Amino acid sequence: MSSLFDLPFDDDAGGTGAGESAAPPAPRIYTVSELTGEVRVLLESTWTDLWVEGEISNCRLWNTGHIYFSLKDAGAQLRAVMFKGAARALKFTLEDGQHVLARGRLSVYDPKGEYQIVCSDVEPRGLGARQLALDQLRRRLQAEGLLDPARKRALPALPRKIGIVTSIDGAAIRDMLKVLGRRYQNAHVVIAPARVQGDTAAADLARALGAIGRVEGVDVVIVGRGGGSIEDLWAFNEEPVARAIAACPVPVISAVGHETDVTLADHVADFRAPTPSAAAEIVVDAKDAFAARIDRLADRASAAVHRRVLMGRQALQRLAAKPAMAGFPGRMALRGRHVAELLLDLQRTGRDGLARRQRAFQALRLRLEALDLRRSLGRIDARLSQADARLRAGALRRYHASEARLGSLAARIDTLSPLAVLGRGYAVCWDRDRRRILRDAAAVSDGDAVRVTLHRGELRCVVTGRDLPPAEEP
Amino acid sequence: MDVNIKDFEGAIAELETIVRRLEEGDLALEQSLELYERGVRLSRYCHARLEEAERRIEVLGEGGELTPAPPSLAAVGEDEGRAVDGEPLRKGRKA
Repeated sequence: MSSLFDLPFDDDAGGTGAGESAAPPAPRIYTVSELTGEVRVLLESTWTDLWVEGEISNCRLWNTGHIYFSLKDAGAQLRAVMFKGAARALKFTLEDGQHVLARGRLSVYDPKGEYQIVCSDVEPRGLGARQLALDQLRRRLQAEGLLDPARKRALPALPRKIGIVTSIDGAAIRDMLKVLGRRYQNAHVVIAPARVQGDTAAADLARALGAIGRVEGVDVVIVGRGGGSIEDLWAFNEEPVARAIAACPVPVISAVGHETDVTLADHVADFRAPTPSAAAEIVVDAKDAFAARIDRLADRASAAVHRRVLMGRQALQRLAAKPAMAGFPGRMALRGRHVAELLLDLQRTGRDGLARRQRAFQALRLRLEALDLRRSLGRIDARLSQADARLRAGALRRYHASEARLGSLAARIDTLSPLAVLGRGYAVCWDRDRRRILRDAAAVSDGDAVRVTLHRGELRCVVTGRDLPPAEEP
Repeated sequence: MDVNIKDFEGAIAELETIVRRLEEGDLALEQSLELYERGVRLSRYCHARLEEAERRIEVLGEGGELTPAPPSLAAVGEDEGRAVDGEPLRKGRKA
């Protein structure tokens, strides 16, 4: 038993003793630092410039400006560092989960005994490929003319129904409805819900765009979503969405993300809005602005026509001052009646307008009361009294002005009574024997002699021609 | 309202043309009056169109059917028409 026990010991001792004298030299014993140093030399001389693909994890930006992270795939991990200088040159922010292509050299971090890649550059792998695909798609659409500015359609001034394609749960739809409520309370909106993010978003958006374009009465469409990362917005860079926008039978406004996000959808759309809220402002002018514009036009038409009527009357009065103007007062009265009817119409319009403005004013007052008065009391007061004055002044002015015009017209027609005006230049025309006053050009024939009594004296005249009025009173 | 008025844009454009022609002032009186009458009709039509639509928010289903938007969504933007205490004003504020 003892031999069995001793044997290994003896062998071992013997072996050691033999080694000291005759066996090959003892293996070199490294210190950890020495070994690590040699590994470093080996790695650094072998992999001086390499590319490696993987997913970022444990990404940390240190306050030194260096970035530490890991690259991993299904089977392994690799420590990575990007020093300040290289990190500053990055065009995007490294984030966990990004699939990247890293370029660099291998090295060893001695204190931890970890080998690592020291990155000189990192490129987003997926996006790079997508970016390439996007550029190719854009060139293709351009070649087909889909991005041609001449294709852009004009937006309707007053849409009957506004189609909106977006997520029904997102912030964008609420933003848009809010703005529409403020600017055009009685807007009619049709929402075609669609996923705006993820793998199925592009197909879904395209389907919704196709469907909304077929809804009867929809004459403009907004397609978009709120802000997000470029990946979140990516569906708006995809071909089905671009083609669906181009194929939409009515004009399309794109409203994707924020001001700075520009997608392919923006290039194809008839109009690009920087944000969903802005799209809601673009799609319909404020109702008040419309009403004011129409009123201004109506006011100008009214002013112009009254100038014209006045001009006509002055011309007629100049003519009336000349001899041989029998029958003129009758024509004048007819003309006057025509004007009076028009003025009545205008007056009616004025009344309707006044009622409408009062309702609008009432609504405005209620809206103002709903606001936090403490916050902006001064400004609101000023605006209110201004609006007040403007609303009342506009409608009342028009109303009174038309009444005044009507009154003065009636007065003028009175002064045109034939009996009152002989002295002012009117004349009385008699038959040749001075037996009866001629009231009807049909009562004489060409060549008949007539006498004309003026304010002073009388004329003997011969009818050389007649203009018969259309059915005047006998 | 008037079969000869095509649409809102058309009406505004025509109204603008009428105003320009009237302001040029070289028309016969009769023609001015006719144009003016037309202008009054156009402006009334435009005002009517502005008031005509009802605020409506609808959702288009995948089968093409239209349903009213859920109340949470339909209420958005309606705040403009609500009094301080959140009570809705009478329906159809313009009526």
